[in-house]
Amino acid sequence: MYTATSSLNILGKEQFELKLSFVLISLLLLVILGWPLYSILGQSFFTDEGSFTLMNYAEAFSKKSFYTALGHSLTVSGCVAFFATIIAFFAAYGLNFCAFRPRTRSLIQIVLLLPLFLPSITYGFAVIYSFGRQGLVTQIFGRLPFSIYGFNGLLIAGVIYTLPPAFMIMNNAFAYVDRNFITVSKVMGDSPLRTFYQTALRPVLGSAAAAFILSFFLIFTDFGIPTSIAGRYEVIATQLYAVMMGAIPDFHNGSVIAMVMLLPSILSVIILRQCERLNFRYNKLSKTPPAPQILRDYSFAAFYLLLTLLLLSVFAIIFIVPFVQSWPYQPVFTLDTIKRVFAENDITGTYLNSLYVAVLTAVLGTALCYLAGMVNARSHLAPWCRTLMDVFAMVTNTVPGMVLGVGFLFAFTGSPITNTFAILVLANIVHFFTTPYLMAQQAFSRMNAGFETTGALMGDTWSETLRRVVIPNTFSTILQMLSYFFVNAMVTISAIVFLAGARTQVMTSKIKELQYFEKFDAIFTLSLLIFLTNCAVKLLLDFWAESRARRLKAQQD
Amino acid sequence: MKFAKVLKLTAFAAALATASAAFADNEVIIYTNADEEAQVAMKHALDANGFEGKYLMQSWGTSELGGRLMAEGRNIEADVLTLSSYYLDSVQQKDKVFKDLTFDHTTIKGDTVPYYAPILGVTGSMFVNTEVLKEFNLPAPKALKDLADPQYEGYISVPDITGSSTSWLMTQALVQAYGEEEGIKLVQAIERNAGDHLELSGSAPLKKIRAGEVAVGFGLRHQAVADKKRGLPIDYIDPAEGNYTITEAVAVVDKGENTNPDAMAVAECIIKHARTELLTNYPVALYPGESVDEDLRPANPQTFKEKLTVELLKRHQDLVKGE
Repeated sequence: MYTATSSLNILGKEQFELKLSFVLISLLLLVILGWPLYSILGQSFFTDEGSFTLMNYAEAFSKKSFYTALGHSLTVSGCVAFFATIIAFFAAYGLNFCAFRPRTRSLIQIVLLLPLFLPSITYGFAVIYSFGRQGLVTQIFGRLPFSIYGFNGLLIAGVIYTLPPAFMIMNNAFAYVDRNFITVSKVMGDSPLRTFYQTALRPVLGSAAAAFILSFFLIFTDFGIPTSIAGRYEVIATQLYAVMMGAIPDFHNGSVIAMVMLLPSILSVIILRQCERLNFRYNKLSKTPPAPQILRDYSFAAFYLLLTLLLLSVFAIIFIVPFVQSWPYQPVFTLDTIKRVFAENDITGTYLNSLYVAVLTAVLGTALCYLAGMVNARSHLAPWCRTLMDVFAMVTNTVPGMVLGVGFLFAFTGSPITNTFAILVLANIVHFFTTPYLMAQQAFSRMNAGFETTGALMGDTWSETLRRVVIPNTFSTILQMLSYFFVNAMVTISAIVFLAGARTQVMTSKIKELQYFEKFDAIFTLSLLIFLTNCAVKLLLDFWAESRARRLKAQQD
Repeated sequence: MKFAKVLKLTAFAAALATASAAFADNEVIIYTNADEEAQVAMKHALDANGFEGKYLMQSWGTSELGGRLMAEGRNIEADVLTLSSYYLDSVQQKDKVFKDLTFDHTTIKGDTVPYYAPILGVTGSMFVNTEVLKEFNLPAPKALKDLADPQYEGYISVPDITGSSTSWLMTQALVQAYGEEEGIKLVQAIERNAGDHLELSGSAPLKKIRAGEVAVGFGLRHQAVADKKRGLPIDYIDPAEGNYTITEAVAVVDKGENTNPDAMAVAECIIKHARTELLTNYPVALYPGESVDEDLRPANPQTFKEKLTVELLKRHQDLVKGE
C-alpha cells in the first residue's frame, strides 16, 4: 500500500478523483442523512420558539396509548422474530444436512426467497384474503379459530416477511459447518440430541441470534404490515404515522416517537456486531454431501412441502383476485377486472413513476455506494476519511425508514425538492445505503492492490483505469448492487409514505390510498405488477452476470 | 463495452426522466378526502367541461389530508382542496390559506363562507343486515345508545374517530343527547363492542355488513338507503338521538403569484356541474333549487350546538381514546 502511495506521489496527481468523490459523498450524506436526523433531534428537544425543553418527552411519555403501542410493537416483533428464526433454522438445516438433489435444493431456496419481491403492505392484505372469513384458505379448510386482525395477522404476515432474510443468514451460516462432525459425534457415542446440538445448533448459534435480531428490527420498524392488518392493535409505526399525518399533526410528539424508534434499532445493530463472535468457523470444510437417511430426508421434504403450501396459499390470492370476476362470490376467470382496474385508477402512470424511481435509485445509489466503497478500500486518504464511509453505512443501517421519512419531512418541507421524484430517490438511497456499500467494499478489498498503480504506470488516467480494470473486475458486484437497490425501491413504503405527492405517487403509496376504498382487486393487481417487475429485473441482471462470466471463461480457455 | 452498457442504462434512466417530466406542469392538483362516488362525479363534471387532462386528483383519508393541510399550510402541493369544512375553517382561522371564491356560492340557507363552497353533505345513520340479525337472534337497535349494549359485542362495526369524520357524527349525537361525560362513555363502550370491526373509513362498516361479517353498523345513511333499494338484506335506522350532517367543501389555495390560474375555474366547475350527480349519491340539498326524495330525508335531522372545529374533534378524540 505504501509503495503504491509513493509511486502515485511521484506521478503528482494524487487520486484527485477519489478526493473529490470523498468530499461530494460526505457533503451529500451530511445533507440527506445528517440534516434530517438533526431536524428530528431538534424537534424533539426544542419548542416552536426555539428554546430547549424536555416537555415534548414528558408529554409523549405521559400518554397511555404510547406505552400500549410500544408494548404491542415489542411483543409482535419478539414473537415474529422467534418463529421466523426457528423456521429459518430448520429450513436451512434441512437444506444443508439432507440428501436432496441440487435442483430440489435450489427450488426450495427460490420459494423461500419469493416474499422479498413483494411490498410488506401486500402481505397484510394477502393474509386477510387467505385466512379471513372470505379467504382462499378459509374456503378450502374452514375458518380459523381466531381473528386474523391484530396480533395474529401481524404474526403470520410478519413471519412471511422476515423469513427470507432470516433464512439467508442461517443458510449462509450452515455453509461453514462441517458435516463430518456428525460422524465424529456419533462415533463418540453422543445421544442424537447432543449430536444435533454439538454439530448443528451450537456452530450457528451466533447466526441464529443475528437472524432473531434482524427479524425483530424489521418488524419493529415496518409500516406496511400493521397499516394493512393491525386493525385496532396499534403499534409504534402506525402511531408515528397517525401523529405525523393524523387529524391534528403533532410534530414534537412525532419526533419523540421517532427517537424512541431509533433506540432499539441502534441496540440491534450493536448486538448484531457481537453475534458475529459467537459463530464457529471451521477452517477446513469437507465437501462430502450428506448421506441419505430416509426418515430424516422424508420428514424434511414434508416440512418443505408444508412451508411451500403455506407460502403459496398466501401468494396464490395475489394471482387469483385480479383474474376473476369478483372474489369470492364469482370466481370465474376473466380479464375484465384487470382492464377495469387499469382504466379506473391511472395505474400505468403510477407504475411508470415507480419504475422511474427504482431505476434512478438503482443507478445513482449504486454509483454512490461504489464510490464510497472505493474511497474506503482503495484510496490513500487519511484513515478518518475512510472510516467516515463506514460510519455513514452504520448510521444509515440504524435509521428505520419511518424515521428517515419523518426527518426528510422536517428537513425538506417547503424546499424545491418537496413533492418531487428527487426526494423519493434520495430517501431511498440513504435508506438502503448499507448493504450495497458493504458489497462494493468487500469486492474492492478482494481485488489486487496493485491494479491502479499498474494502470497509472502504464499511463492510464484514473477514469481509464476505472473503466478498463476496476469496473470489469467488480462487474458482478455492480449488478448485485443494482438489483438490490431496484427491488427495495420497488417494495418500500416506510419513508415514501411521508414524501410522495400527487405527481409522484408510486405503487406502494397508491396501495395505501386504495386501501381507504377497500379496492382489493386493484391492490393485488399493483402487487402482482411489482412482483413480476422485480422478478424480471432480477432474472435479467442474473442472466447478464452469468453470460458475462461464461464469456470471460471462454476467453480464458 | 461494459462502460457503454452502463452508459446505456443511464441513458435509459434519463429517457424515463424526460418521459415522466413531460406531464403538464400547470395542471391543477386537487387533493380530496371525498369517497369514490364523489370523486367520480367531480371528474365527470371536469371532463365534460373542458378540463380533461388539465387536472390531477389525489385522494387521501380525511385525517391524513386534514393533517397534511394543518402541517403544510399554503405550502401544500394542492391547488384546490375538497375537505370536511371544519378543517378548512380551522386552517383559515389560523393562517389565511385560502383565496376568497370569485363565483356565487350562496347556499340554500342563504349564507356563504367566502373561502369555500360546500360540495356535498353526509348524514349519519345506523343500519342493519336483517338476515344476520335473525341468524343471531339480535333485536334491531333503536338508538345509538343501544349499540353500547354488551349483547352486540362482536356484531357491530363503526368507524374510528381518529380516522374518519363519519365517526364524529355518531360522537356528536351521543354527546349532545347525553352530555359530554356520558356520551363519551357510550362511544367507548360502542368501540369496545366493535372490536376488530372498528374501521378507519366511513364507508367500511356498511361493506362489512353487506359481506355478512357483522349485523349492525353506523355510517353514511344514503349508502344504506341505496343498498336497501337494490334488494340487499339491509335496512337503515334513524337513531333516536337524531341524524347529524357534515359538509365537505371546495377551496382554492392562495399561493400568491404561484396560484394556479385555472384553480378558481376548477372549483367553480365542480360547484356548477357536479352537484346534480353528487346529489344522487349524497342526498342533502345544499343550494337553492335542489331537492331530494322523501325516503332520502333523515327522520330526525339535528345540528350540533357547538361550532365544529378541529380543536373540538381533537378534544372528542382524546376523550374517546382516554388520553
